[in-house]
Amino acid sequence: MAFDRQGVTMNKLSDSVRVMLFEGRADPSPFVKQSAAIIALLVSLAAVLVVPGLEPTHPSAVWVGAAIVVAATVVAFVLSQSQGLARYASIVPLIDFVGLGLFAAGIGGVYSNFFALIILPVLWIATGDGRRFVGYAIVGTVQAITVGFAVSGSLPETASDWFACVIATILATLTAAIVNELSSQSRKQIRAINSLAEDKERMLQRTVEYAAQLQDSEARFRAYDRMFRGVWSAVTEQSVIGTDVTGLIDAWNPGAAKILGPNAQDTEDKRYIFDFHVGEELENRARELNYPPGETVLNPGFSALVESARLGNAESREWSYVRDDGSLVPVQLSVTKRVDEAGVTVGYLFVASDVTQAREVSRLKDEFVGLISHELRTPLSSILGYLELMRDDEDNPLSPEHIKYLGVAERNAHRLLRLVGDLLFTAQVDSGKFALDAHDLVLDEIISAAVESARPAADAAGISLLELLPDRMAVVHGDALRLGQAVDNLVSNAIKFTPRGGTVTIALDCTERGAVVTVRDTGMGIAASELDKLFSRFFRASTATKNAVPGVGLGLTITKAIVTAHHGEMGVESEEGVGTCFSLTLPLVSEPAFVTVGAA
Amino acid sequence: MHPMGGSYRVVIADDDVDIRELVEIAVSRAGVELVASAGDGKSALDAIRSFVPDLAILDVAMPEMSGLDVVRAMRTDESLDSVRVLLLSASVDEATMAGGISAGANWYFPKPFSPKELSAWLSIGRE
Repeated sequence: MAFDRQGVTMNKLSDSVRVMLFEGRADPSPFVKQSAAIIALLVSLAAVLVVPGLEPTHPSAVWVGAAIVVAATVVAFVLSQSQGLARYASIVPLIDFVGLGLFAAGIGGVYSNFFALIILPVLWIATGDGRRFVGYAIVGTVQAITVGFAVSGSLPETASDWFACVIATILATLTAAIVNELSSQSRKQIRAINSLAEDKERMLQRTVEYAAQLQDSEARFRAYDRMFRGVWSAVTEQSVIGTDVTGLIDAWNPGAAKILGPNAQDTEDKRYIFDFHVGEELENRARELNYPPGETVLNPGFSALVESARLGNAESREWSYVRDDGSLVPVQLSVTKRVDEAGVTVGYLFVASDVTQAREVSRLKDEFVGLISHELRTPLSSILGYLELMRDDEDNPLSPEHIKYLGVAERNAHRLLRLVGDLLFTAQVDSGKFALDAHDLVLDEIISAAVESARPAADAAGISLLELLPDRMAVVHGDALRLGQAVDNLVSNAIKFTPRGGTVTIALDCTERGAVVTVRDTGMGIAASELDKLFSRFFRASTATKNAVPGVGLGLTITKAIVTAHHGEMGVESEEGVGTCFSLTLPLVSEPAFVTVGAA
Repeated sequence: MHPMGGSYRVVIADDDVDIRELVEIAVSRAGVELVASAGDGKSALDAIRSFVPDLAILDVAMPEMSGLDVVRAMRTDESLDSVRVLLLSASVDEATMAGGISAGANWYFPKPFSPKELSAWLSIGRE
């Protein structure tokens, strides 16, 4: 069975091994072994019948013995038919002992030459695995001798009789022992050979498996390689340049060729990355970084270029690439380091996108917003100016009703003006042109001013305004106008979103993190799913649109931009139907001076 | 009458008729003398050269010659050194405002402006 199971998994490479294993283990069948005994018996029987002077002393014993051997042969034939029965094969030589013993006894017993036939079952039985088979051979021999004496009806009487019996037994024993030992050694050798063959087979099997794995890996590697080459050539809008640690270019993609001009053959292993940078930009950056030591002494600008990447931080910033004809290309450049298997830096990768178009779009957008802002302000100037003239016309005073109408027109014109201002401001924040006129200032004063300016609106809406200031002054470094605008935005938002009878609390607190301004209302709240979008431009909370609260969604964007420009943080907590709390945290300039409540 | 005594003479220029009229009203209410009112920069510069006023109130964005161009031209002409310039503009970004002052303007007012405040500013001494 073991052979069959192994055979199933074996492939043609190990066929020869399998054959060897099969032949090495297989024994001749019981019938083949018995054939020696039956042939010898038949020859002896023929001799007895034909040769004069060999007449049996007891013919019946001869015939019974022959019949028993024939019967043993039949048994051997039957046992040969099945692997399962073959294990009982030892019974055949034991029957042979009786049959051949009787056959020999009929012609002269131990003294007969035919007694030598006994050696055949002795040989068979002695090949069994184990010393006990020698014992069986002795027992069989003694049995055959005993049968001889039983047939003659007398015991050994003379010393010669005993000597013949003992000699026959000793010879059979010696033969059995020698054959048994030789068989044992032969079996050991076969086992060793089989073990070697199995080892070899296993090794072959493993080799085949390794070969398959190798083939698989190679196929995968080829697929990756194809993929990489495909991607590398497909990237035509980004320049991807690889260098060693000194900046010598060793990889140059089609995008680099498109943006900068020369192709890979002209640059790889020939030119340095800093040949394509503006020397002055690199020098300025090196100065900013205080001339970083870097990994090369070839060019301090190169060290500045890769400084962040060298320290393991991927960096993306704007640089100018310079083409061979001297023209400049503004690029957004990301620099990352390349490491080998041991983690040692072997070079850098420079991935750049041409931002010429993006810059142009940004410039056009700025121009457009500036133009729109200008074009909207001009008619608004007329509207507001003439409305003011009407209100202040002492010669033709207006009726209270007309004054009320005028108020509505003025309020809305101012609203439009604020919107234009917000749009312009947002555009300035986007283009980074938003400048702060920063000084050390007392935040408490800004809070109080915001509360006071919001009070008329709060009173009109029937909302209580509470102001909670700490017992010490919060001094921050910032632009008073912008910070006022930020707090105003939060307070006016809170009033807008709080129903009549509600409360808006503006509090200032000095904590370890800085000065924290919180504006808490008891308004309609904001859905949790909308909190993260709240500071996006033009985003309006569903509660705002549902309740028709006016606005365009720029106030919080502007507030956040102002706070961020002051190195501060904004936070919001809200529960629908309960209220919202906005907080802004600004770094404190120094340990605020302690003042008693109400002294300021 | 003007508090400084004598006649304080003003030239104004704006391409937007409505705004120009609004400035004219503010000027007349301040009790100063409006010597010329122009609709473009070039006419404004001609008027300034002819009248050499005390003050020129100029819009920044005008066709042909902007308010800034007019100021620059004035500041290269020594005979116009005494003419003070107030720029009025709907461009409120800091760069434009700083550009106006560096071109040689004395003041920069953003639009929209209050005619009442402009009047008051003109009558109390323009500082």
